[in-house]
Amino acid sequence: MTLYIWLCWGKSLEKRKNMETGAKAEEQEQKQGQKMRVMVAVDESEESFYALQWTLDNLSNGITATNEPTMESGMLCLVHVQQPFHPAVYPLGPGGAAFYTPPAVMESVKKGQEGNSVAIVSRGAKMCSEKMIKSETLILEGDPKDMICQAIEQMHVDLLVVGSRGLGKIKRAFLGSVSDYCAHHAKCPILIVKPPKETTSKQ
Amino acid sequence: MSTVEKQVMVVAVDDSEHSLYALSWTLDHFFVPFVSNSPFKLVVLHAKPYAATAVGLPGPAAAEILPSLESDLKRIAARVIEKANEICTSKSVNDVIYEVVEGDARNVLCDAVEKHHASVLVVGSHGYGAIKRAVLGSVSDYCAHHAHCSVMIVKKPKIKH
Repeated sequence: MTLYIWLCWGKSLEKRKNMETGAKAEEQEQKQGQKMRVMVAVDESEESFYALQWTLDNLSNGITATNEPTMESGMLCLVHVQQPFHPAVYPLGPGGAAFYTPPAVMESVKKGQEGNSVAIVSRGAKMCSEKMIKSETLILEGDPKDMICQAIEQMHVDLLVVGSRGLGKIKRAFLGSVSDYCAHHAKCPILIVKPPKETTSKQ
Repeated sequence: MSTVEKQVMVVAVDDSEHSLYALSWTLDHFFVPFVSNSPFKLVVLHAKPYAATAVGLPGPAAAEILPSLESDLKRIAARVIEKANEICTSKSVNDVIYEVVEGDARNVLCDAVEKHHASVLVVGSHGYGAIKRAVLGSVSDYCAHHAHCSVMIVKKPKIKH
């Protein structure tokens, strides 16, 4: 019984401590002027570029927040996650003969992927510079969902912006949805930008 | 690109800490830095559940509880709007529309987006795991999939133990 009371008291102390530190942290944030660190996830899809464009159009004020260019303004961080090319071993043919990708092919695919990533990221960077926003680009390799969530934690991002392909429930379950995963697992607020209605054919 | 018409941002609030945190976060990042010249117009929306759906009891038992439940819900709604108002005024954001609409939160939010031609819907998130989500349902999940505008899900950072 007494142990139970002690535990409760201990927990309430903890809560109070956390509240205090939480309040202090908030104060600090307010002093810094709420410049947001925004991360936009881009890939080959048009939806993610639309998300980037939307962010630039609407959140640019939130990112820079002041007219003084000398102050350290918030940054827009573009992240592209390259999915690693697995040397797929698919049994083909009647005998179940495996198809091995020869190293030369792997090399060229890898180069092609890298070129692709660079193209995507530079397109994004160009869009940012057109709007006079400082951007930082990041190319990661791995599973997009995990890499984005990791990047958020490491870079202390305030807001993650992702596009949405508007997949229905079934497609989402099969194809997986990065925006869905991030919405559940990312530690920061997430903004899911949907393309305007005219472009979506199905709901 | 200077448009006179401001973009509309709808923030959904309910009785939970999470949604009030979401409102607070949104104000801090989208309204406070602009000092009353924000590019967004704010609508704070509370979805009040129907008393009939809120109580799960069938038959005569429900009829007895309904009136007091109804008044309870009204009180909660008023309190939620009051809290939201407090948060807004404490941050000097005054041009706000407050609305209470009766119905299921999911539908209310999506309808409000259409009605106000909102460009962003902001919701809090309880941070439920997959199982709780499946059982309790998730308004933020539903809105993320079905709202016709961009959806921002603001999470209250968990205090790591």
